[in-house]
Amino acid sequence: MDRLADVKEGKYKILEILKPGKLRKLSNLGIFIGDVIEVIKPGPGPIIIKKGNMTVGIGCGIAMDIIVEKAE
Amino acid sequence: MEEKIIAIAGNPNTGKTTIFNALTGSRQKVGNWPGVTVEKKEGYYIYKGIKFNVVDLPGTYTLTGESEDQKIAIDFLVENKVDVLLLIADASNLERSLSLLVLLSELHRNIIVDLNMIDLAEKEGIDYDIGHLEKLFKVKFVKTIGNKNIGIEELKEEIYKKCKEQVLEAFKFNYGVDVENIISEIEGEINKLNLNYPSRFLAIKILEKDEIFINFLRNKIDYEKISAKILNFEKNLKKSVDMILIEKRYGIIHGIVREAIIEKKKELEIELTEKIDKILTHNFAGPLIFLFIMFLIFNGVFLLGEPFKNFIDLILEKLKNLISNSNFSPYLISLLNEGIISGVGSVISFVPNIFLFFFFISILEDTGYMSRAAIVSDRIMHKLGLHGKSAIPLILGFGCNVPAIMGTRILENKRDKILTSLSIPFMSCSARLPVYILFTGIFFSKNQGLIIFSLYLLGVIVSFMTIKFFNSFVFKQESIPLIIELPPFRTPYWKSVLLESWTRTKYFLKKAGTLISLGSLILWLLSYFPNPENYGSEFNYIGRIGKIISPLFKYSGFNFWQAGVALIFGIYAKELVVSTFGTLFGVEKLSESLKIYFNPASSYSFMIMSLLYMPCLATFLILRKEIGGKWAIISLFWTFFTGWLISTLFYQIFNFLKGG
Repeated sequence: MDRLADVKEGKYKILEILKPGKLRKLSNLGIFIGDVIEVIKPGPGPIIIKKGNMTVGIGCGIAMDIIVEKAE
Repeated sequence: MEEKIIAIAGNPNTGKTTIFNALTGSRQKVGNWPGVTVEKKEGYYIYKGIKFNVVDLPGTYTLTGESEDQKIAIDFLVENKVDVLLLIADASNLERSLSLLVLLSELHRNIIVDLNMIDLAEKEGIDYDIGHLEKLFKVKFVKTIGNKNIGIEELKEEIYKKCKEQVLEAFKFNYGVDVENIISEIEGEINKLNLNYPSRFLAIKILEKDEIFINFLRNKIDYEKISAKILNFEKNLKKSVDMILIEKRYGIIHGIVREAIIEKKKELEIELTEKIDKILTHNFAGPLIFLFIMFLIFNGVFLLGEPFKNFIDLILEKLKNLISNSNFSPYLISLLNEGIISGVGSVISFVPNIFLFFFFISILEDTGYMSRAAIVSDRIMHKLGLHGKSAIPLILGFGCNVPAIMGTRILENKRDKILTSLSIPFMSCSARLPVYILFTGIFFSKNQGLIIFSLYLLGVIVSFMTIKFFNSFVFKQESIPLIIELPPFRTPYWKSVLLESWTRTKYFLKKAGTLISLGSLILWLLSYFPNPENYGSEFNYIGRIGKIISPLFKYSGFNFWQAGVALIFGIYAKELVVSTFGTLFGVEKLSESLKIYFNPASSYSFMIMSLLYMPCLATFLILRKEIGGKWAIISLFWTFFTGWLISTLFYQIFNFLKGG
């Protein structure tokens, strides 16, 4: 298990989003716990992830609260 | 003529503006929603003898009362008799748009979904079974390619038909038995109240824990009872009810979209966008590319605008000469020349630069680069309490503070707009340059470039300190985390870019132009009376005010009334600092006279003051328009105070060190 802010490029599964407000924000965009995302640009700085056709930039503050694990 | 109201809604980056432009053409205006600083765009078109008034609602992913933009959209749909709600959906990312459709359908029955950018979806190998979607959602779906004007006539026809038909059976999203039961229970409570908002919508808002709507209803219903029910419901399901609603929506929509998708052969390698993104948002290359693009825009705005600006100045100069040589009374000549033409003219001559500024900004928005710029500058802006998008208007403030403040419209929330707008006046705009050139030429001729650079740097530092100060002591909020969708790169739609630029420029002309006329008149009256023959001198009100304020600068090194007058005129337009000295001392003797009154330390101190206090009347008036009168006055005093403080500190420390 890693924080999204600390991972390298690759595919990851979202295990947990720690703060309810952040969880709601991401959910409104269509990103949920259990989703497999692809990290296109890792930290430091904002992280860029891809889910399906959607590419999203996530600030470090949020990425620290997203717990992920490497997906196959 | 019969009139109808069409409201356009949709997620950001779905091509809402392109569709709005395609429908209304140049028949549009931009302004603010009443009482707030969110941009409001309205336009109209005539089709089959009916005038369709189109209102572009703020782009949103969801509908919560807690966001200013979203509350506007909700209230507009509730308070106005909207005939058709047009939802613009990104065909390549339909699920999220359909989630918004579900939310909107709780507010409005007459909806058309515009599947925009269908060409991009097709290139990604996606097409939809429209019939299937229409059957499930009970709304009409129309495919368009807004930037190629494809499908627009069909869209107009469907809007026309929708206005004529009666909705017999509206779509209602089913959240499942458990959730529907609790919605019904709350709805029952709200139904008794006879409110403007649909009761089911309010019930869902309570379940979504929307503070604004909860506070709205708290004293009207037995909220404690409802709250206990919700808690009990969450306890049983071991999950927050607001998350259950979102997951239900996406879950069901995901299934529907999967059923409706017709997979095709993929044409475009989407990886290209990813590859470009890796370069544009790279930790090292990204900021360099961003600065280079800003440099190009900065230069483009001024280099390309310069000939047009000079042309306008020439016409205004000729007009002034014509008036001077006329038989009008000296009073009228002065009023027209010094009052009206100099004042309003100083705004009009900025129009080419402002148009170019909005032209480049529209290109950045249209291509999708704006979101990448926000990513790149997020690291530094985050430390100050803002997020990346604020860096764009800040940098453009180097060109002209007025369009830069208008550029804060790209920021979504009010706090960010206020913080960024308060810091923009410290970014050294081109109007300050003549002041620097005059003084550095006289007192620092060997290090002119270095001294001017130090002033630009000082402006940036004070600008950042202002953000930090107001964020720490006034707003006291944690920096807002950045979540931004990065749309795929697209070729800009030139017609839309030009329309956007012109509409925004027109707004600037109308608002700033009318307000600055009033400001010019006041300054002219102060300069002209009571001794018309000594315009702008110590014998007139302006000079007397100059004498009153000059003691303030006793410890800054320039406490003589001419400097006071120059600074007062500088509020009007910074270029006037130089021309005021020219008028008071005479252009031929300017250098010698300034050497009598100033030394290198006091001249640098004066340049600091010129850099930091309110750049011009137009900036003040635009601040008033964009963030409100209260904040504009705070900015006026804040810029003056910081200018006075830093110039005084500099002068005193310099003298202390020199003496030591």
